[in-house]
This record gives sequence, structure tokens and C-alpha cells, in this order.
Amino acid sequence: MAEILRVEELTKYFNTKNGLLHAVDGVTFSVEEGKTLGIVGESGCGKSTLGRVILHLHERTSGKILFNGEDISEVNAQKLHALRKDMQIIFQDPYASLNPRMTVGNIIAEPLKNYKLTKSKEESEKKVREMMDIVGLADRTYNLYPHELDGGRRQRIGIARALILDPKLVVCDEPVSALDVSIQAQVLNLLMELQKDRGLTYLFITHNLSVVKHISDDITVMYLGQMVEKAESNEIFRHQYHPYTKALISAIPVPKYNAPDNQIILKGEITSPINVGKSCRFAARCPYAKENCFNTEPVLEEVTKDHFVKCHYVKEINGF
Amino acid sequence: MSEKILDIKDLSIRYVTEEETVLAVNGISFSLDKGESIGLVGETGAGKTTTALGIMGLVPDPPGEITSGTIEFEGENLLEYPEKKMREIRGGKISMIFQDPMTSLNPVMPVGDQIREVVLLHNNVSKAEARSRAEEMLEQVGIPKERYDDYPHQFSGGMKQRVIIAIALACSPELLIADEPTTALDVTIQAQVLQLMKALRTQYQTSMILITHDLGVVAKICDKVAVVYAGQIIESGTLKDIYTNKQHPYTIGLFNSLPDIEHETSELKVIKGLVPDPSNLPKGCKFNPRCPYCTPECCENEVEMTALSDTHSVRCIHVGEFDREA
Amino acid sequence: MAKKTRDKNQHHSMVGEVWHQFKKNRNAVIGLIVLCIFIIIAVFAPVIAPYGYDDQDATHTKIAPCREYPFGTDNLGRDVLSRIIHGSRYSLMIGFLAVTISIIAGGILGVLAAFYPKLDNIIMRTMDLFMAIPQMLLAMCIVAALGSSLFNLMLAVGLSSTPQFARVVRASVLSTRGQEYVEAARAIGGSDFNVIVRHIIPNSLAPLIVQATLSMARAIISASALSFLGFGIQAPKPEWGAMLSAGRKYIRQCWWLTVIPGLAIMVVVYALNVVGDGLRDSLDPRLKK
Repeated sequence: MAEILRVEELTKYFNTKNGLLHAVDGVTFSVEEGKTLGIVGESGCGKSTLGRVILHLHERTSGKILFNGEDISEVNAQKLHALRKDMQIIFQDPYASLNPRMTVGNIIAEPLKNYKLTKSKEESEKKVREMMDIVGLADRTYNLYPHELDGGRRQRIGIARALILDPKLVVCDEPVSALDVSIQAQVLNLLMELQKDRGLTYLFITHNLSVVKHISDDITVMYLGQMVEKAESNEIFRHQYHPYTKALISAIPVPKYNAPDNQIILKGEITSPINVGKSCRFAARCPYAKENCFNTEPVLEEVTKDHFVKCHYVKEINGF
Repeated sequence: MSEKILDIKDLSIRYVTEEETVLAVNGISFSLDKGESIGLVGETGAGKTTTALGIMGLVPDPPGEITSGTIEFEGENLLEYPEKKMREIRGGKISMIFQDPMTSLNPVMPVGDQIREVVLLHNNVSKAEARSRAEEMLEQVGIPKERYDDYPHQFSGGMKQRVIIAIALACSPELLIADEPTTALDVTIQAQVLQLMKALRTQYQTSMILITHDLGVVAKICDKVAVVYAGQIIESGTLKDIYTNKQHPYTIGLFNSLPDIEHETSELKVIKGLVPDPSNLPKGCKFNPRCPYCTPECCENEVEMTALSDTHSVRCIHVGEFDREA
Repeated sequence: MAKKTRDKNQHHSMVGEVWHQFKKNRNAVIGLIVLCIFIIIAVFAPVIAPYGYDDQDATHTKIAPCREYPFGTDNLGRDVLSRIIHGSRYSLMIGFLAVTISIIAGGILGVLAAFYPKLDNIIMRTMDLFMAIPQMLLAMCIVAALGSSLFNLMLAVGLSSTPQFARVVRASVLSTRGQEYVEAARAIGGSDFNVIVRHIIPNSLAPLIVQATLSMARAIISASALSFLGFGIQAPKPEWGAMLSAGRKYIRQCWWLTVIPGLAIMVVVYALNVVGDGLRDSLDPRLKK
């Protein structure tokens, strides 16, 4: 399979009043065509920023982005316009990401207009109605406004808008976290079906581990702007080597009667990644932290085949 | 048998506006013993929050009105209480934790004072006594008392939710209503807060109503479960009843639509369709348009609760007739 | 809490929804009716008015309101009713055009400031500078510099309230610009122009419309005040402020010469204000149920 996206040492710093905010810090990964890479982390870990930097919705601070083997780290407006046809995004909040003053049909048709892909109004309307059918939006919703629909349908509008340009890569930024459980399952199934039919590649950003396990081929765990663990999806749920991943997975409340209570409760909370020093960023909350962890930053290294962990004491902790 | 602290019978609440009448709660009944906790599980618009507001006497009127039912708290019907008496109970014997920790605190008041205020309102104590009680509460929820004079914006989301829990528990309430208390929090923080709530509940012997859509959270801290759909309880029982012997097609569908973290599944089993519009509910069983086992009878008459055991009841006329694993 | 899903077949456009909310406010509806009446009067002034605005009748001067002259006559024997009717044209036109001037100037400046951070400081600090000068003084300076004519009066009133518009527009655009659908519009390949025109402006209009209505009331007062001070429209044109000024000399004998134009100004301004308040309430999405 061909590699469709590769990012190398990607960083994004924001200037804030209190100093540099390291939103994304030295992230490296690649995704193969037709696969899904899940990016997991809690609020403030930089996962959404990462997606937006790849799409040039934010400009990167340093690092490389390669799309289909081509360096797209720096592009001019014209090139960016062309690029966006192939790279789309589905947003988290189906309430906020749709213009409240436009009808469903107009929202989905807008990308076609921007790229002048259809010659006539009729042709564009036909394409929009086809797309609506594919994502499961009833034809009669064509002239409605977003606020007249429920969350699940709105999210389908967002999906239709992203897919009408026939993109290759879609960044899904928490696409189901605003939805009810039964609707969430419907939308997840739709996303997986569309991937199969259209050979889409997903970058699936979420805080919900059960969802990410369900949809992803590979999973990357992020903490304060950095990748701390990366492996194949089932592998990471079988063996977590990084202390943060361990805590994260154990913290998911399992919907089962008398589920074994082996939760690792972390102390403290995520701090903001402003003016971080040379240390392991998880050290302050890590139950295994030693002095060394506060002085030197660990590197992401391969522990077993295709399983990468960023921890000084990964061997001691996991008894290799 | 321990004593019954809350007994709700046939509670119905609706919202009447110019355009429509929204039937938010349609005959909900459940009871709660001292020290027990019940989870009200359901999706957006199922009527969970309205039920809670009903108990607190906070249903906005207009447009809301309670059309039937009784809410007996310690043997007295709260619906007959005058507003003044309700105010004493609110925050005193019954308190509520709201979903959003970002907006439930007053931004221009130190967090310690916000706890002290509740203590002063409900107890006949001096300011100094109230302050020491507030400091004690802060320590209990894991916030050092040195932070008494800090303002909400100086706290993170998880810390704010702890402060809210401290406010709710400051007067040692008999009943705590928690409306999605951890939904806005991250997983690792949620685990901390749930652990804290569990510990405090045991310590204070507080009864609790937990409102949530997360079946995992319910499994962690509740004794009983009531599944709410379209303003009705469609299945209720002990945690064991519901999690190991679920009977209602909706409950089964709800569990099935969760991605399983322990097993691999290719496609999620979904409940087709949408939650019904509460201003236009279907006739008969409220779940019939989405139910895979629906028969013509289901669409005719209201369905009553069927008791399967002392603790377990289901609102379905075909209970036991279909294969639950399918 | 039950989130209401609306009847799916119902069609709700923005205008429809605003009107639906607006008509619940009785005062605002009355204000709107009063305003419409004044607009009709202004449009058909020559037809409605019993006399011309400068028809003098030396035999009937200073007549108190009676059946023949409902609002009386002035010192030159002109019918006050006819003058008020003709004057409505000036007052409404000044209000309308002055506000249009401030919308255009303030709108452009506000959008530029919100969209291009480099211009933000230059534009907004200049606006602050203008806001430090009392509005009336500023308008008087402009008229004094350009000479007093109807157009200059409107320009003066319009420009002097431009800074307020720039601020409102900037704030509104800034908050709209942070919305996710604006980011979405960029992600699907929209150009800056497209994003501003199709997504930001339509969603930033609400506070502007409210500001415009309220400003129109203020503009009418300012114009009247300027005319009263002699900076605006000159006799014999029947601008309400100028009429008030002219009647001032006879306030002891002929009360109607000051009270009637004063009342006319008050009614129009009051109507505009309640309509503005009604619009603010119906355009505020937070108040929508």
C-alpha cells in the first residue's frame, strides 16, 4: 500500500501572553492509503491542532508534511486551493460547523462552487442530492436549515460537504463525540462504510478510546503535544507500555456488571504546555517517575515490532 | 429493609408553548432507599433532566407544568410544599450537581466563599464556623484549603467540578442529584471524580440519583438502574438485572451500539431511526417505530410495566419472546 | 432537557423567524406601524399636505390650533401641519442617509480591522480618537468646514457616528470569525472574499441592524439639534429642528410653534427606539426558544 501522508518532526507553537504554547511538538507519523490512524488524547494535548496544521488551517512552526510523496509544508494560495480538494475535514460540533443562514443543499453545494466543478445549477443540485443519498440524508431536507435537524443529521451534512469533492484524506476531528450513543453508532458505521466504498484515508482524532479502537488500524496516543505511544490498534489495547496509556485505558468505565476494578487513578491534571522544559512531560503525574524523568526528555523508541513508546523506564516498568 | 427516602409516583411534566406541547416526562415512578444510588440512563431529550428539575421544584413555569404524580421525600409530598419551604430543602437536604463545571460557579466570587454561602444559608452558624466547614469540604474533595480565596478561573475543569461537589455536599444532603457530572471531563479526570464521589457517598450515606448517558459510569457507582426513553422508564432493576439480563429491545440496542473495548467487532449494531419528537410521540409503545420486534399490537395501547422479579421490570409486551443476542 | 426538534416540513428562513419573534413584542409592532405611517406621509407629502410649506397668508398669522388649521399657523401665516408633513421628508431622509453613510464607512473599517490584524490598531485607535471628541462638536466642525447644506448635514451626522459602527461591526465580525463554520468554509476551499461575503457578513448583521435603527433616532435628533443651532437646513425649508428654532421666539404667545415640531421629533425617535429594541430581542439567538 502506498503511503499517502507523512509528517516529520511537525511542531506548532502558539505565542501566548505567558509564553510559547507547545501545542504540537515534534510529531512524526505516516498513514497508508485507505487506512485509519487514530489520534487519541485528552483535551489540550494538541490533537486537534495537529489535524488543522496538516490541512494548513493553522500554519506549522517547523517540520515537514508530505502528501502523496510531495512536500506540502509550504504552499502558496493557489497550490493550497488545489490541495484542499484532496484533503478534507469533518468537525466535532455539528452545531457550530454549519452556517446557520444557509440551507442544507447550499451548504453541501458550496465546495462544488468553490472549485467550479459543475457547469450548471441543475448539475450541482443533482450531485448534491446524490451525495445526500449516500450519507443517508432524506431528499426533503434539501431546503431546510441546519437548526431544523438533529445532531446526527447535521453531522451527516458535514460528512457530505467534506466528501462531495472526492477527497483522498479526511481528518475527522471528534466527529461523533457530540452525538447520542445510538446516533454515534449510526455515524461510525457510515464513516466505515464510506471508507470501504471510496478508499478514503482517515485521520481520526478523538478522546474516546472505545470509538478509536473500533475504527482505527493504528493508534497514536498524544500527551501535551507529543506522541507517547504508537502501535497497531489491537496491539495497543492488549499491551500498553507507556504509563499514561495504561492509565488512560484503565480509566474507561466499562459498561459491565462487576467489571474488575483495576483502575489506575492518576494524580493531578493535565497542565498547559507553556514553556515546557527538558523533561518527560508526563513526569509530574507519572506513578513511576524518577529523578531522571524530570531532567531529560525520553525519545520515542521501538519496544516491540511496530510498537513505539516514549519513556525512559519502559523496560523496567513492563518487565522486559 | 432500609427506609425509603424518595418515592416518585407517576410523575408527568410537560412544556406548553404557543406552537407545541412537549411531553417531557410521562408517568415516571421510582423509589430510592437511604444510601442507595440509582442511575437514570437515556439519550438527549429522554426527560432525565426534567425529572431532576421536577424533584428540585425547578421546572420553569411557564412553559413547564407538572400534570400529575407525587414526589414523596421522607414521607412528604414535595409538590405540595410552598416555594419558601422548597428553598430550604434545595441545597440543604436535596442538592444538585449540574453538568457544566465551567458555568455553574460564580466567576467573581472566591470558591471558598461559594461553599460558605451554602453553609450559611442552611445552617444556623457563624461566619467563622461556616468558613471552617467550607475549608474542611475543600480538603475532602482534594483541594488544599489554602486555595479558599482563589477564583474559579484559577482552577481547571476537574478542580471546578470538585468545588461543585463540595458545594453540593457541604450541608450533608440526604439526596444528591448529579446531572451528567463527568461528561465535560477528560477520561483520567473523570476517573478521579467518580472515585471521589463514590468515597464521599459512602462516608455521608447520601442517596444519589445519577443522570447520564454513559452506561460505563453507571456500572461504576450505581446500585439500581432505570432506562428512560421518551419520558418513560422502559426498564428498571438492579445493576445486575440490567447489565446481565437486559430485556427491553431499547436497552439491548443501547448496549449493542457501544463499541466494545474488549472484543473486536466489524460493524456496530445500531438502533435504526431517531429518538421520537417529544411533542409528537408515537401511539402505543413509544419505542415501536424503532423496534425490530414491533407487532401491530405494539402500536395500539399504552404498554404497562411488567414485573419480572422483585427488582426487575420491563415495559414491553413481547418480553422474553425474542432472542436477546440477535 | 428536551431539545425540540421542529416540525420537519416547516420552512424557517431568517426573516421569517425574526418576524415571528418580533411580532410578540407589542410595543415594537406599534412603533413599526407609527414609523410606516410617517414614511407614507413623507412619500406623499405634497398630496397630503393641505398647503405648500412656504405658502404665506399674512391675514392668518399666529392662529392657535383650530378646525381649519389643526396645528395652527406661524408668524408668517404658514400652516404648521403642512410644514410638519413636508418636514418629515427631511427628518426621515437625514436619518436614513446619515445612517447609511455611517454603515458603509463604519462597516468597511470594522471588517478590515477585524480581518487584518495589522490594520486593526491603526483603524481602531483612530476611531477612539474620534470618539473622544463630543459627537455634536465633531458634527458642528464638519458642517462649519464644509458649509451648511442638506448633504453636508447628513455627512456630518453620518461621519460623527461612524466610530460606533466600526466598533460594533468589528466586535461582531471577530466573534463570527472564530466560529467553526468559518473555518469549515476555508477548509472546503473558499477564498477570503467568499468567506467574508457568504459566511461572515450574513452572520454579523444582527447587531448592525439594531445599531442602525437606534442610530437613526439619534441622527434625527442630531440633525434637528444642528438645524436648531443654525448649522443645518436654512429657512424657509421646514426641517423640524429648524422649525423648533424659529418658534422659540414666540414660545410665550404661540406654544404650538415649538410643541408640535418637538412632538413630531419625539414620536419618530420613540418609534425608532422601540423598533430597535424589538429587533435586538428578536435577533438575539439566545432568546430563541
